[in-house]
Amino acid sequence: MDPNFTEVSQLFERFKAAFMRNDFDTCDNLLSQLKVLLTKFRSLPPLFEETPKANHELTLARDIYEHAVVLSVKIEDQDAFERDFFQLKPYYTDACGRLPPSPQEYPILGLNLLRLLVQNRIAEFHTELELLSATALENPCIKHAVELEQSFMEGAYNRVLSARQTVPHETYVYFMDLLAKTVRDEISGCSEKAYDSLSINDARKILMFSSDQELFEYIKEEHPEWEIKNGFVIFQRAKESAPCKEIPSLQLINQTLSYARELERIV
Amino acid sequence: MTQDVEMKEQPAPSNSVTSVGPSTLQHLKEIASLIETGAYAREVRRIVRVVRLTIALRKKLKASVLSAFLNYALVSGSEVHSRLSSYLPKEDEQDMEVDTATSTTQAPVKHPLPELEIYCYLLVLIFLIDQKRYNEAKACSSASIARLKNLNRRTIDVLAARLYFYYSLSYELTGDLAEIRGNLLSLHRIATLRHDELGQETLLNLLLRNYLHYNLFDQAEKLRSKAPRFEAHSNQQFCRYLFYLGKIRTIQLEYTDAKESLLQAARKAPAAALGFRVQCNKWAVIVRLLLGEIPERTVFMQKGMEKALRPYFELTNAVRIGDLELFKAVAEKFSGTFSSDGTHNLIVRLRHNVIRTGLRNISISYSRISLADVAKKLRLDSPNPIADAESIVAKAIRDGAIDATLDHAKGWMVSKETGDIYSTNEPQIAFNSRIAFCLNMHNEAVRALRFPPNSHKEKESAEKRRERQQQEQELAKHIAEEDDDEF
Repeated sequence: MDPNFTEVSQLFERFKAAFMRNDFDTCDNLLSQLKVLLTKFRSLPPLFEETPKANHELTLARDIYEHAVVLSVKIEDQDAFERDFFQLKPYYTDACGRLPPSPQEYPILGLNLLRLLVQNRIAEFHTELELLSATALENPCIKHAVELEQSFMEGAYNRVLSARQTVPHETYVYFMDLLAKTVRDEISGCSEKAYDSLSINDARKILMFSSDQELFEYIKEEHPEWEIKNGFVIFQRAKESAPCKEIPSLQLINQTLSYARELERIV
Repeated sequence: MTQDVEMKEQPAPSNSVTSVGPSTLQHLKEIASLIETGAYAREVRRIVRVVRLTIALRKKLKASVLSAFLNYALVSGSEVHSRLSSYLPKEDEQDMEVDTATSTTQAPVKHPLPELEIYCYLLVLIFLIDQKRYNEAKACSSASIARLKNLNRRTIDVLAARLYFYYSLSYELTGDLAEIRGNLLSLHRIATLRHDELGQETLLNLLLRNYLHYNLFDQAEKLRSKAPRFEAHSNQQFCRYLFYLGKIRTIQLEYTDAKESLLQAARKAPAAALGFRVQCNKWAVIVRLLLGEIPERTVFMQKGMEKALRPYFELTNAVRIGDLELFKAVAEKFSGTFSSDGTHNLIVRLRHNVIRTGLRNISISYSRISLADVAKKLRLDSPNPIADAESIVAKAIRDGAIDATLDHAKGWMVSKETGDIYSTNEPQIAFNSRIAFCLNMHNEAVRALRFPPNSHKEKESAEKRRERQQQEQELAKHIAEEDDDEF
């Protein structure tokens, strides 16, 4: 038995135990130790050397990174999520011929799509989407993220919010909550342009606040230019392009002179 | 996907047996001497001509002709000779020996030039691919690439570029493109170090194709944005580059730039490359739809493309009308075509545009309409259509797609009267920007005229200038004649 391998698996067992206890500090500690130890395996990406125990090592490493991704969601660290996900990705894309597919693969890929959506990185969202096969797109975890993106683009925001009830995986809740905030900002931006005014009651419902107080605070912080009067929220509309009363003479003279100068150069 | 980039590919060699044997061999020998003079005089132009002549001979290549040519060009018994001969089918043994007898009597080349050797590789490779012997083609191309890595001569670059292309093609035909990615990258590096721009251009395209084959848009974009760019040497390579660029940009939602690249690729592609142009047009149509434009009918009626573009025509129609049901029906009907074209995900994105168009039509026709009716007209199938319609309309208003206001309490949408645009300064501003554009264009043209590329050369005396002009004229005449010969 390779001593490295035993050490990593033992450490990983301890990590899993701490993970079950929701002891995230210990997890974080153990994880950084694990990552250092993993660098000693030569069978892992990017080397992919053929060692006798390559498959075991690959499976173990994949398992560790999958846990790392889930852990980063639990401690709500988006940067760590991105890092861990990129370390995990080669195991899905480049090692797929050698390892049996992981049951965690689609939930994690879906989670990543959701993260890109929350961070409003739509171009990367679509780039990732292109990598998925037709069967992957049928998977509920992936489908969930794809449908969210569509509703989001269309503007069917209540569909986005109701999707929170139907999350395919418990880890999705964190990102769905973040998404709700993004959606609220979008809705307020749209309402501002679309309505002249809204009753406070309606505004509260549309912006999904449970009390008037929360609504007022939100308006004060995010949109101080909105006015609250007689039980109505009045939006300050942008100035319309008003019919022109007088001719902007100075500007016109300048333009005409520049045309004359240019024409002279041509002739 | 194969036919689109295979610009020079002609239909599979016909089996019509015409008595071309001796004349083909004769042609090949002429080509060989052309290579020799090109190599000695270091004239890349001649080698380019060789490649062009070879493509013309492609259909006539036969095992017997090839082996005769190998005997003529290479020292028999040498390593290259025996390796290349082993790829050729054996049944022509009889024929071959006859040719050997005749060709050995003709002055054999003592020390074959590397150019000639590489050319033999290229010839055999083309032959193997045309004969659909892909595994042998793979072996042959790999051997040639190994040989190429040790050669550093400018006159080989042109031949090498073609070899790279067939190397990648032979691996693509057997479905092992991923295998050679590392190799292509190192070749690209070598080409960059040697300032072999044609090779860089070709290899960059092959790498992009390699990545896109596996939908690795991220990697492709990273490579593309970091690889050195310079003025294109070959029109075909440039077209391909534009096409790949357009695809990458489409995926990354940069539709305006994508449209530009795709349309340019379609326009620049040679008329014979029908498959490539069809592919460009398909993508361009979708990108234009995503931009909210409706492509003209003439796009779909181009000669030889009507059938291939039919699904896209129907799709455009659905988007134009803004009918969600029709759109869904079309997407379903042609789902096979769309997924084989790799455009399925893009079409999913289009749904949003269909809704927009529908909404715009409604807002134009009604001055006031209830949200329930909007939902019904858009045929939104959702559990809560009115709330959906409301937020969709709100977003459309914010994005400036329609000019209207919502009344939440009464549940309707009021379209604004389209004001008299001529009462504002708007037209004047538009007019001004157009004039400025035209004047600017003129100025740029003038500037381009005034400074020809070699104006930095030191002043020459009147006599010298006359001499040079005369030389240039002669050269121009010469080139013109040569061009006439080739077509």
